[in-house]
Amino acid sequence: MTKRSNRVAIAILGATAFTLAGCREDQVDAQAFPDLQSCTDQVTPGGMFSAQDCEIAVAEAETLHLESAPRYDSLSVCEEQHGEGACGSEASATQSGSGSIFMPLLSGYLIGSMLSGRAGMSAGQPLYKTKGGQYTNAARTSTFSGNSGATKLNTSQFTKPATTAGKAPMTRATAASRGGFGKSASGRTGFGG
Amino acid sequence: MQKMTLPERPQWRDHARDVGFTFADMHGEPYWDETSAYAFSLAQIESDIEDPATELHAMCREAVGHVLASNTLMDRLAIPVAHRDLIIDSWQRDDPEIYGRFDFAYDGNGPAKLLEYNADTPTSLYESAAFQWQWLEDQIAAGVLPEGSDQFNGIHEALVARFGEVFAPDTQLHFTAAQGNPEDYATVEAMGWAAREAGLGAHYCDLEKIAVSDEGQFLDDEDRVIGTLFKLYPWEDLLRDDYANHIAGSQCQFVEPAWKALLSNKGLLPVLWHMFEGHPNLLPAFFEEDIADALAGTGAPASDVAAAFERVAAQLRAGHVTKPILSREGASVSILKAGEIVEQAQNTDYREHPRIVQAYASLPQFDGFRPVIGAWIIGPQCVGIGIREDRSRITQDLSRFKPHYITP
Repeated sequence: MTKRSNRVAIAILGATAFTLAGCREDQVDAQAFPDLQSCTDQVTPGGMFSAQDCEIAVAEAETLHLESAPRYDSLSVCEEQHGEGACGSEASATQSGSGSIFMPLLSGYLIGSMLSGRAGMSAGQPLYKTKGGQYTNAARTSTFSGNSGATKLNTSQFTKPATTAGKAPMTRATAASRGGFGKSASGRTGFGG
Repeated sequence: MQKMTLPERPQWRDHARDVGFTFADMHGEPYWDETSAYAFSLAQIESDIEDPATELHAMCREAVGHVLASNTLMDRLAIPVAHRDLIIDSWQRDDPEIYGRFDFAYDGNGPAKLLEYNADTPTSLYESAAFQWQWLEDQIAAGVLPEGSDQFNGIHEALVARFGEVFAPDTQLHFTAAQGNPEDYATVEAMGWAAREAGLGAHYCDLEKIAVSDEGQFLDDEDRVIGTLFKLYPWEDLLRDDYANHIAGSQCQFVEPAWKALLSNKGLLPVLWHMFEGHPNLLPAFFEEDIADALAGTGAPASDVAAAFERVAAQLRAGHVTKPILSREGASVSILKAGEIVEQAQNTDYREHPRIVQAYASLPQFDGFRPVIGAWIIGPQCVGIGIREDRSRITQDLSRFKPHYITP
């Protein structure tokens, strides 16, 4: 009778415990940049993206911005989520918009390689500031530390966000519907002991 | 108990990389260190660690009932008034516990002394359960350790069994931790592996991405309702977050359950001493405000602990440790001997909290390092150990993990 386990799955760390075997999500090369110019500046022969990719992605992201940016019922609620000075009215962003609905200003783009034309996907995604100085996508489900740099991302990051144009804007209560855990003891990285 | 110098497995770093154990080295220092290992006799493991730890867990459960019956103690443990019912309900429903880790000072002779109980969010589970286990298998196969060497490590099997016992087959569990910390994530993953092996569904969601639905249920990052949530995030923080008021109505079962907030709190230590004074595995402990003046010789102890204090006053004056009731990784811990601070944690994150005073138990020294024994409790039982050692008297987040074995 030993005092140790008979068999231990040498767990492969890195998300495998939580994904079904064989269902690992596809990843694509992705890049974030603050504006079109910084994308085209980085274009190199044989590089990840061409100047045309930059233009297409920016155009797609700007369309998504108008359709799907988070919309709030007041400037103060918008600024609570995105920081002071990071919001404007829907009317100033779109020709047909309301002066009493507020949206964050577009503050960067996320571009994914080889996704254009796939159903339900958009290779160019808008980025918005968060109150904490990071960047988030339109659905506010992902947070990025900056708005420039290259990485690999799951293709799900490029799913088209739900349309918010014409829908009821978020109130203070609904705007806070995500992210209510984890704020205590900010500055600590780990919480285990 | 001996420290043995042993050859490292030649390929262990490759192995660590292959299995994603990315923090085997941290901040330029080894975290996993197999250049030596601790050797125990079977009697030391069984009589000095395993049985006492199982007994201590049962005593801690008694302490939960004792604290819940007293608003004064709830105050002293800084349990937010608004959430006391949540904790009481979780205890009365007998919400099941999965795991915890006692930290002991032990030198191979005499009883192990309880330093604290990480009952809510203990980490280093992966290193203890899996990487340490593989080390033993490899070293026996390589002839470095004699055939018949053993290890006190039934952690993984016990976890699988515990998940199977607590949850119906195919129950879907969510696991969460703060994003961006590989150590915390590794512990959550080791949990997820065990849950899946027990026939349960395991899903992960970053803590910061959890949402609340219009009906007040918690949702994961894909808007799926969370029915059971294993959180590597302490109750003391959960109860002070924006979502704290949603917990009670969420219909979500939390693991560890809310009553663990009473056990992962250093205020447990004076409660245990009060209930079980003189127990061989306990160190004398008091709330600081009850005895601070008496200890300094400038006043009297609080009347209800005066007699107990006098019985150990000489021991406390010779050496004691003060710890905030909420503290992790050794933060804000000070060690005093005869009134002089001999060691103080650099990290002062928790200094604003009330403190407890605990008699100092000197950690043994082996080659300049001081090991702390982490005894894993799964369900009601002690099922394994992991050892971390540090040059400092205060075990902190850079302490090394050391493997152990039981000599044949």
